[in-house]
Amino acid sequence: MSFTLTCPICGPRNAYEFGYGGEDKGPRPDEKDLSPGDWCDYVHMNRCIAGESKEWWIHRSGCGIWFTTSRDTTCNLEVRGKAEEKDANPPLEKE
Amino acid sequence: MTNKIIRRSPVTFGPKPSTVENRGHWVVALEYEGEGDGPHLIDLSHCPRWDFQDGNLDKFKPVGISIPKQPGICVLSNGTLINRMNGTQAAVWHLSGEATDIPPETGYTDVTDATVFLAIMGRNAFAITEKLSALDLNDPARTPPFLIQGPFSHVPCQIVVMAGDRELPVILLACSRGYAHDMVDAILHAGHEFGLQPAGENVFKKWLEPLK
Amino acid sequence: MNRIDPLETFRIQPSQKISIQYGRKSYEGVAGDTIAGLLYGNGIRVFSRSLKYHRPRGLYSLDGECSNTMMRVDGMPNVRTENTPARNGMKVTAQNVAGKTADTDPMAFMDKLGFAMPAGFYYRTLHKPAKMWPVAIKKIRKAAGLGVMDPDFRIEGYFDEIYPTADVCVVGGGPAGMTAALAAAAPGLRVILMENRPWLGGVFDYRPAAYEGDLPLYQRAAHLARKIEETPNIRVFTHTAVVGNYNDNLVTAFQRGNETDPFDERYIEIRARSIVVATGCIERPLLFENNDRPGVMQVGCAHRLARTWGLLPGRQAVFSIGDDLGLEAAADLSDLGLEIACVADTRMDGQDETLIDALSRRNIPVYRGWIAYKAHGAKQVKKVTIGPLAGVQRQDIECDLLVASAGLTPLTGLLSTRQVELLFDRHTGFFLPAGLPDGIHTAGRMLGFQDSVKIEISGQLAGMEAAADCGFNAPGEIDSIKVRINAFPGPALGSKIVSAPVKGKKTFICFDEDTTLKNIDQAMADGFDVPELIKRYTSAGTGPGQGGIPGHNLPLYVAQTQQSPDQAPRSTTVRAPLIPTLMATYAGTQHDMCKRTALHDSQVASGGKMERVGVWTRARRFAEDTKALAEIKNVRHNVGMLDASTLGKFRIHGPDALKALQRVYVSDMDKIVDGRVKYSAMCNEDGCIIDDGVVLKQGENDYYFTTSTGRAGQTVEWIRYHTRYDHWDFNIVNLTDACGVINLAGPNARKVLEKVTTADVSNEAFPFVGWRDLTLADCIPARTMRLGFVGELSYEFHVPASYTQTLWNILEAAGKELGIQNFGLEAQNGLRLEKGHLIIGSESEQRTTLHDVGLGFLWDRKPDANTVGAVALTQTEHQKDRLKLVGIKMADASAAAPKDGSAIVDTKFQGYICTARFSEALNEPIGMALVKDALAEPGTELNIYEDSCNGQLLKAIVAKMPFYDSDGSRMKM
Repeated sequence: MSFTLTCPICGPRNAYEFGYGGEDKGPRPDEKDLSPGDWCDYVHMNRCIAGESKEWWIHRSGCGIWFTTSRDTTCNLEVRGKAEEKDANPPLEKE
Repeated sequence: MTNKIIRRSPVTFGPKPSTVENRGHWVVALEYEGEGDGPHLIDLSHCPRWDFQDGNLDKFKPVGISIPKQPGICVLSNGTLINRMNGTQAAVWHLSGEATDIPPETGYTDVTDATVFLAIMGRNAFAITEKLSALDLNDPARTPPFLIQGPFSHVPCQIVVMAGDRELPVILLACSRGYAHDMVDAILHAGHEFGLQPAGENVFKKWLEPLK
Repeated sequence: MNRIDPLETFRIQPSQKISIQYGRKSYEGVAGDTIAGLLYGNGIRVFSRSLKYHRPRGLYSLDGECSNTMMRVDGMPNVRTENTPARNGMKVTAQNVAGKTADTDPMAFMDKLGFAMPAGFYYRTLHKPAKMWPVAIKKIRKAAGLGVMDPDFRIEGYFDEIYPTADVCVVGGGPAGMTAALAAAAPGLRVILMENRPWLGGVFDYRPAAYEGDLPLYQRAAHLARKIEETPNIRVFTHTAVVGNYNDNLVTAFQRGNETDPFDERYIEIRARSIVVATGCIERPLLFENNDRPGVMQVGCAHRLARTWGLLPGRQAVFSIGDDLGLEAAADLSDLGLEIACVADTRMDGQDETLIDALSRRNIPVYRGWIAYKAHGAKQVKKVTIGPLAGVQRQDIECDLLVASAGLTPLTGLLSTRQVELLFDRHTGFFLPAGLPDGIHTAGRMLGFQDSVKIEISGQLAGMEAAADCGFNAPGEIDSIKVRINAFPGPALGSKIVSAPVKGKKTFICFDEDTTLKNIDQAMADGFDVPELIKRYTSAGTGPGQGGIPGHNLPLYVAQTQQSPDQAPRSTTVRAPLIPTLMATYAGTQHDMCKRTALHDSQVASGGKMERVGVWTRARRFAEDTKALAEIKNVRHNVGMLDASTLGKFRIHGPDALKALQRVYVSDMDKIVDGRVKYSAMCNEDGCIIDDGVVLKQGENDYYFTTSTGRAGQTVEWIRYHTRYDHWDFNIVNLTDACGVINLAGPNARKVLEKVTTADVSNEAFPFVGWRDLTLADCIPARTMRLGFVGELSYEFHVPASYTQTLWNILEAAGKELGIQNFGLEAQNGLRLEKGHLIIGSESEQRTTLHDVGLGFLWDRKPDANTVGAVALTQTEHQKDRLKLVGIKMADASAAAPKDGSAIVDTKFQGYICTARFSEALNEPIGMALVKDALAEPGTELNIYEDSCNGQLLKAIVAKMPFYDSDGSRMKM
């Protein structure tokens, strides 16, 4: 893990400061009438694309924030400067 | 009760302090024999430290000080340092080391005992820290005091650079209290070649006093 | 030993004598010598014996491109003596020989057996019958090899690490690297300059040729080095091997310390915003019969031996070269006293005519289009056969030195490791980068530049481009530099000759692996056509020097030999570390970071047997008895104290705190009763139990909760992760280290507590599962909970960590007359086992659900909480064929407890023992096991397969839990 990731609080840091939180699959599906298969897919299935992947990462050794970022899985580099919606918890600013 | 009530710092340096002061229940080391002229490693774990979290930090002024707007920015006023950590959290560090009543708002938590609190100061301080961390503590683009949260000797730390290389470097470091022993060991080990010595609170106070 | 008269280019202190021991003899040299240089000065010519054929090998290059001069130094094998400084008193021995020096070797007959070891013979022979291979491999290993590691060898020295910060990192301290560093530093950026040799200067350092006017190159190098030194924002690391270059400009290197440095080696890691690679060139070996004979060396090796160390490399020399540096070296070495019979230059034309003139003035004949065909002599060169590349004319010349070099090859390893495509350039014959990633620039000779001024300006340009990467863009200046560069003549035509036209049986393309041209031919005949595969099949370039010797020649030779000569040569792969790096160097200082509780010192002083538990150090037990039965007994019948400070402890507050708790805990946290703790568990999305602990409500929207020791580090991130899309307003404070925890347990616990508090702690005022904020010893704030993990009357005090030792001492004093004692983890384990209380991770694994461990009752089916794991808990509630947690007893009560982890079997695997111990209360072994639900009924007989049970299965019987105090009255007393 030699690449860097950009923490929305702390800026670019060595990847080893971060923990991986999986692909960004969106909020939990409505649990009512959900088949076991569908639920299992939500929890365990990933797209695993060769290319740009939007993912959750936590700045584990730093400020502790969860955030989304895009990574090009073919070269293991963060895709920077993308004007996509960034999510974070705790939120970056007051709602 | 035969047992004296003592609050203990997680740090014990090899040499015994030559001057101590009883403060609250703390026994604060003011001075050590042969401290030399630096660099110094100083235990400030007795300094009261608060965690403050709220969805709207702008509404609050801990001990009368406005919380910096941007994460990573610190403000020092009257011996109290406030570090903005993220959108909803700030740290309040009473560097003067005096006990202060915690405000009644629920957002505050006394975390004095959650961390070991150290100062690395004096010449070559950055030469010591770069042996333990890849974090850019000596970034000329940033104006002290500033906060960096990241790994130092593999342990997540809050590090505040109080003064940079142009003056006498002063670096504050807080990490989980349990790591105190190994963290002090690692710093002293890294600082050995530069003559790093344990020192008492007086050295730090002497630096802090004019800034009050 | 004779040195030539002092020169300005010397890097030695001739007056300062040192001596080292080689074999049984002592040899003298001077400060500044390398080990190999010192020995060479004393007439040593054979430095090692080769891997397979035990051929004598000598000093060939000086930068460690091959294993020729690897020796054992002070017990350390495989030291590259050609670039390791000699230190007084060093003990050196040769490797891969029967004796202590390489001069004679009883295994030298191996050289005659080359015919029996064709390319790929490891893969193709000695495998049939299969029984033969283990025998053969033993023999081969014994006969072949490099240094031998003594199993008792412990590396000495101090291995440091450093993570310097920089904006621009320049690799290579030659002229281009130095000008790049100066240019990048000009706008005030932090620049790091790293050089493999112990000094800056690169290809300028030792050469007296003119830079401009009368100024020799070495003075120009010194001038640049001075400027570097005077620039405060350039930090120089000399004697530093850069070994890796990774994503986002992570550069890794290691520096060898000199005698005044506090370290022997130090690992360096730099994250730069921009990198300049100015690593220059090494020489491409020239191949001919016996091209590995001691006395054959490269141009730079011969030239630097004289110019840098004052050692004339021989008496009578022949040169066979393919580059102007060879002509320049011949003229200079002749002036320094070397007799040169002739210079054979593989090139027909294209030479710098002033150099040709210089040689003819010295009466040194230059034969254009000629090449060395064969070196003669058993242990060192005595005679050379030269002749024209095309033609049958041959000439034998007696000599003791053959300076041979085919040309130059750029050092592009730092580009290869970044997946930069390297394409063959037909003009220079180099593999040159085809496009660079952002933030990487190249400069100097590695691009084929030869003119000294052009080399420097290319460095300047790269430095400015690197500064531009860091926000200091000067487009006008960059453009004008580019114009200046383009005004110089382009790179010279490079020679592509690899070898004299010989049969190749003793023509070595790779010294480390004893690979000959004939082996390469065999590989091609066997159908291998890609250099990368030929490399693997023949092992050329897979030795300690990696591609240093064959890296360029192999693809050239393959392309030239193959039937489709139009196909451009393809380079082989290069990987980090580019220069072999000691494991000790990578390991660095190894600070072991481990947590200690506030009670650590007193636990140790009380005889605690400390061990690592996750990130913490804890006391397993206090007595020698590994079962800790005395500690258990004391808790059951009297009162004991446990340091439980490692428990995870958290505060969660804010308007949405309850929602967050409802999300992660399976129980309904809306039902917490004031003054009482609520025991609950957390599951993952699979419904598998991951944590348990208690939660209490300390105020409006304000809760305090505990987690198991192992989960403390992940709890905040777990809660934040599972609320990441909700934008809830809550705050968590990790108080794990802030509070020490003392567990006071045993029927006499209340008697102890009453002595240290004025509060009413009677069973009525403070009942089981209650919690109170007490003040102990008049001033210590202690959040006190009545819990029953060990199954007795028990108080858990959560106190500020700084007070914990004081409170411990006070409780110890208060309980002294009762006989209060420490207990440790082992006693706690035995006590809770009797109660059937589980430890997550001991009685559960990643497939174990809340239902499986019998804690399904904790799950409140909260309608809208979206509790983590709830969906899976619903789906698995009645699932069959799962492993369920049960109690067990041994069929034979006098048997020993089975080992934790032993398998439960019938015809197949049916489960396993989680924890089993001798029970003090029951006076027989008990345990907990996860078994298939079909076997979970009490009374079922289980067969246990224990390690080393020799097929004798142990018999156990499923038993009801808890084993002890089934109505829990002792906890509630």
